[in-house]
Amino acid sequence: MTLVNSTSVAVERPESVTEAADLLRGTDGPLLFRGAGTKQAWAGRPVEPALVVETGRLSSVLAYNPADMTVAVGAGMPLRDLQDLLGEKGQWLALDPSTESAGATVGGLLGTGDSGPRRLRYGALRDLVIGVTLVLSDGTVARGGGTVIKNVAGYDLPKLLYGSLGTLGLVAEVVLRLHPRPAATATATVQVPVDEAGELALRLAASPLEPAAVDWGDVDGGLLAVRFEGTPAGVEGRRSAAGELLGGAAGVEWRTGADEETVWQRLAEGHRPEEEETLAVAGTLPGRTADVAWALSEAAEASGVRTALASRPALGLHTARFAGAPAAVGAAVTAWRERVLAMGGSVLLRDRPAAVDAEVDAVGPPPSSVGLLRSLHRRLDPHGRCAPGRLGSWLPHPAPGEDRDRS
Amino acid sequence: MTTYTEEYRELVAETPRGAVTAAFREEVAAVVSPGGLISEPAQLHTYECDGLTGYRVTPALVVLPATTEEVAAVVRLCARHRIPFVARGAGTGLSGGALPVADGIVIGLARMRKMLSVDVDNQRAVVQPGVTNAGISAAVGGHDLYFAPDPSSQIVCTIGGNVAENSGGAHCLKYGFTTNHVLALTFVTPDGDVVTLGGDSTDQLGPDLRAVVLGSEGTLGIVTEITVRLLRRPEAVRTLVADFPDAEQAGNAVSDLVAAGIVPAAVEMLDELAIEACEKAVQAGYTLGSPAALVVELDGVEAEVEEEFERVQEICRRNASTHIRIAGDPVERAKVWKGRKAAFAAMGRISPDYFVQDGVIPRTKLGSTLTRIREMSDAAGLRVANVFHAGDGNLHPLVLYDAAVPGQAEQAEHLATAIVELCVEQGGSITGEHGVGSDKACSMVKMFGPDDLTVMARIRAAFDPQGLCNPGKVLPTPRLCGERPGPYRPHPLESAGIIERL
Ligand SMILES: Cc1cc2nc3c(=O)[nH]c(=O)nc-3n(C[C@H](O)[C@H](O)[C@H](O)COP(=O)(O)OP(=O)(O)OC[C@H]3O[C@@H](n4cnc5c(N)ncnc54)[C@H](O)[C@@H]3O)c2cc1C
Repeated sequence: MTLVNSTSVAVERPESVTEAADLLRGTDGPLLFRGAGTKQAWAGRPVEPALVVETGRLSSVLAYNPADMTVAVGAGMPLRDLQDLLGEKGQWLALDPSTESAGATVGGLLGTGDSGPRRLRYGALRDLVIGVTLVLSDGTVARGGGTVIKNVAGYDLPKLLYGSLGTLGLVAEVVLRLHPRPAATATATVQVPVDEAGELALRLAASPLEPAAVDWGDVDGGLLAVRFEGTPAGVEGRRSAAGELLGGAAGVEWRTGADEETVWQRLAEGHRPEEEETLAVAGTLPGRTADVAWALSEAAEASGVRTALASRPALGLHTARFAGAPAAVGAAVTAWRERVLAMGGSVLLRDRPAAVDAEVDAVGPPPSSVGLLRSLHRRLDPHGRCAPGRLGSWLPHPAPGEDRDRS
Repeated sequence: MTTYTEEYRELVAETPRGAVTAAFREEVAAVVSPGGLISEPAQLHTYECDGLTGYRVTPALVVLPATTEEVAAVVRLCARHRIPFVARGAGTGLSGGALPVADGIVIGLARMRKMLSVDVDNQRAVVQPGVTNAGISAAVGGHDLYFAPDPSSQIVCTIGGNVAENSGGAHCLKYGFTTNHVLALTFVTPDGDVVTLGGDSTDQLGPDLRAVVLGSEGTLGIVTEITVRLLRRPEAVRTLVADFPDAEQAGNAVSDLVAAGIVPAAVEMLDELAIEACEKAVQAGYTLGSPAALVVELDGVEAEVEEEFERVQEICRRNASTHIRIAGDPVERAKVWKGRKAAFAAMGRISPDYFVQDGVIPRTKLGSTLTRIREMSDAAGLRVANVFHAGDGNLHPLVLYDAAVPGQAEQAEHLATAIVELCVEQGGSITGEHGVGSDKACSMVKMFGPDDLTVMARIRAAFDPQGLCNPGKVLPTPRLCGERPGPYRPHPLESAGIIERL
């Protein structure tokens, strides 16, 4: 099926891996792969594609073995739908990104490396993916990994694709490891500023309490939420020690049921951009939370933009939102990124208004491994068709409109 | 269908190589610190094989660099003179991954065994590749921290080898493999460049290059520094050994544990022969004559572990467990694990020779696969002992034989290969933790099609266009493996006299 959208870019929605492969083999020019389209603005802005390949019809369950706790799905399967299905068997894919409610797909989540608060306990999709089918831009279909949890045969193609942002090929199928849904959960909240939240996160990590999630948001003047899950006795049994660690019974509130879900929904808001906002995520050592926050407020002050922070201090992942004039936002993002890189971290620029693009280098300076990245890219996508521009200056790409050499 | 694409053949074709001359030796000697060169024939023999002792090749030279810069300098010389090189840790690998290349050199990381730093607050440590797996946990134990991957060889094997093999251990069902516990690598590319993969942040921008190096069995470059994630020691640990009337019922108990939503830290199974061998070797208190035993360990928060431990016992009893032994204290627990971890070596007590096999099946096929293995073992007239990570379906059948009986070694090897191919038929894998190495390169075609292999060969060529970095491992060489996926044939290198089987 071919759809043509307003700017006359062809859009295809293949129904099978073979169809997808034929499609890529039979065309040339820049490609863009799209799941639910929730993260098309992440990292660099790709050049205008000749063809958009949507995974919406590659969305079936290929194999589900509840007793083996594995599932294989088409990459276009929305996470939300998958969780519904798995929930019937008391299982889930242990991933809770804030874009789930917007329809984010499994393939898109793997390609972008998005995650949520419970990454602390279960890891990222990188840790949960066990197999993949990849379609390269020349139509080569390659499988990597397998269908069993434990497997070290061959190179780990599934994990290589984590965070690849559609630059190596089309993720067409994904095999995942599952977890049992915990029987009980409870969340302790305490009102603290971000630097204190950073301290508490380190103390939680040093304790044997094994929190499932530790999130801080700019909510009610600064709210730290700590989730515990497991068996009812296990959750109950942590209450007193956790309460004490978090500052004594006075300040700590325990939330369960709808009240608990509301807290987590409010905190998830901090990781989504509002209209016209620019959003970037920094990763650092967990102990750098206060430094990241401080660097952000200084960058905001110097450029005269409004910023907000939402942090997962135990993971060292921090989402910053910027609002203001494009040039000022560009300056603030650049300044903040410089500070984060200087402390050994990394920054991924996410959503932003188009006007901000001209004001900021979307990917920042290349890492020492950029030579390997280029060489790998050259081997897997020799004509540079996959989302050219997505990794900015890190990968070579022609300027928009430039003739493509396919010699 | 052909086994290999034309492109694959070109990618893995051997390129012209240089020779290790006296001049080359001198150049190498000039870039490594004193004591870093081994060229005495008697000493070179020490490096001729890894834990897979059946394959042996004497390297032309062994180099023991002391720093990342020295490794890079040696690799640059290899690249310039087109000399193949093989990285080596402790040499405990069981798939011939560290098997030297004739006319190539071995780069041993044994002299690089410093713990460079420990960051208690951020729960990580930076270590050199020659540090032993157990050495890491020992160094940070005082802070209630440990390194989770726990291969049975942990006292000896190195973290560099663990990274290369993506090693697992008994506790990887709950905690994952080496790849889940490595945050950053300092990496010497086959050109001799030094780069960092990964970093302080859990995520880097772009494809995860660190992930593809993990488990690449030394074929993409040499790892010279590793930042590992450390975990807080769990508050409580509870361990039991449950005996069962047969393996099928033990397998059912495991299924019931999983169905109950319990994720044990470890679930290990031993069969009667394995129990006999372990008891002879270390007297760990397993019940002699029991057809099957499960070791189940739970860890985590005290209240939770207590609650689930009760349920585990209930489930074992429901599945006809004949005896449950609870490890009452750390000493008793250590004894249980000593028995399990000694299992491979213990085979020497009940058989003059044995092959250690490593394959994976979907856990739910445990019962039927064990039955098939028994039938195959009967048909071959060879005993097979089974020790395995039952939670994730990772089997370690041990094929027992006597090399003094003519033909029996070959027969045993055929049986071991047939077992692993059975695993693939069941939807599993040719290796769960020991790696492909040189041993199973030819079996890769059982699991991966021509295009899958081509893409792997492209990845390898991206890192190592000259094909000098641990060549002949992981990816099948059409010339040596034959054209068609089929039953195992003797390794042609063997017939060619390049490697000898002992
Ligand atoms: C008794 C016994 C029990 C075992 N139990 C387990 C187990 O439970 N789980 C498990 O996973 N494995 C197990 N093994 C296998 C083996 O111990 C592991 O594969 C281990 O990780 C190998 O480490 P090593 O230092 O001995 O590496 P080596 O054998 O020296 O090398 C292994 C591979 O790694 C490469 N390599 C080594 N160092 C580097 C480096 N710095 N950079 C790049 N490549 C490098 C080599 O080229 C080779 O390909 C066991 C082995 C034995 C003998």
